[in-house]
Amino acid sequence: MRDENELPLREIARELREPVPVSESFDARVMRAVRALPRHRFGFWLRLTAPRTITIKPLTWGVLAASLIVFAAAGVPRAFGALHRATRPIATALFPSSAKAPVKSQRVQFVLVAPDAKKVAVVGDFNGWDAQHAEYQAKHRGGGVWSVTAPVPLGHHRYSFVVDDSVWVADPTAPRVVDNDFGTPNSAIVVEELK
Amino acid sequence: MTAVGRALLALAVVAAPAFAQDPRLAARLDKPTLIAVNAIVDSARVAKLPTSPLVDKALEGAAKGSDGQKIVVAVHQLSLRLGSARHVLGAGASIDEIKSAAGALDAGVTPHDLARIRAATGKRAVTMPLAVLTDLIERGVPIATATSTVIQLERSGVKDQELAMFQRNVRADIDRGADPGVAATTRARGLVLRSGGAPDKPAQ
Repeated sequence: MRDENELPLREIARELREPVPVSESFDARVMRAVRALPRHRFGFWLRLTAPRTITIKPLTWGVLAASLIVFAAAGVPRAFGALHRATRPIATALFPSSAKAPVKSQRVQFVLVAPDAKKVAVVGDFNGWDAQHAEYQAKHRGGGVWSVTAPVPLGHHRYSFVVDDSVWVADPTAPRVVDNDFGTPNSAIVVEELK
Repeated sequence: MTAVGRALLALAVVAAPAFAQDPRLAARLDKPTLIAVNAIVDSARVAKLPTSPLVDKALEGAAKGSDGQKIVVAVHQLSLRLGSARHVLGAGASIDEIKSAAGALDAGVTPHDLARIRAATGKRAVTMPLAVLTDLIERGVPIATATSTVIQLERSGVKDQELAMFQRNVRADIDRGADPGVAATTRARGLVLRSGGAPDKPAQ
């Protein structure tokens, strides 16, 4: 009985060990089929967001919670403080804070004789060349004389008068600065600290 | 909005001051000019050059109605002058010194003469001598005369207060009708003579 069964079993085993004949294009066809399958573009994201069951010991929970509390108490304010310190110098350089380092200035009187003018303003590097700046609007004093007294920071400045919002007039009483950039001459002023 | 979106927005809000630009530029320049000017200003900031003169120059151009290209060229030229000034004065120069030096270069002083003034000034700040030099040139003193006058005064060791007085006197002389060059050299000679007599003062 045993010998009778052994022969077919050996035959079957031999059959199974024989290599299966596969055509040369088989690999290529399989890979084509695989590539044709729809791709899962967010596989990684799905793996991250798919719900999973996590078991954790109460002691581990306690350690994790304590770490978070310590981080919140010390780490976050430090991190934001460092970020604030890192950004402050650039912002301060751009927009100097008058409260921190007040820029010394002197009140300077600007005078222009312009009998036909309807409006006269002083513009310069001390007011951002803004002809609408309220503090630098000249008033008509009579007889075509316009004047305004306004603060100007100490130092060397360039300025001009703007008549009727359109005509640029250099101060006839001040030295002129040849402006090669925009073609309109400016006047120069040096403001010194009064002793 | 997703959590990621909210986090990015919060990060942008927190980080915004680090990239802040002068709001006056955005209000007065067209977009292409604004982008170009901001790029020049950012480069100057990275190079640790003063940026306020660049912003002022752009605002001046906008106020004068210049076209964007002219504004960008003017701001760029000024940034080059600031860089040149810093190069001549050295890395230790203060912002005020760099601004004064750029003003002197703009008035026509050569980098070589700027270096001579720096050497004559020694370790003292060069801000005041350069401000006086620029003022002299703007008042009509020939550049060569103004430069040699300031160098002579600095070599004589005059103080900033004396320089300011000298500047006021020259200004007054010119206003009274004196030739600018003659006024500057005459006043400088007087100041140098007084400086030379200074050691005798304590004995008086």
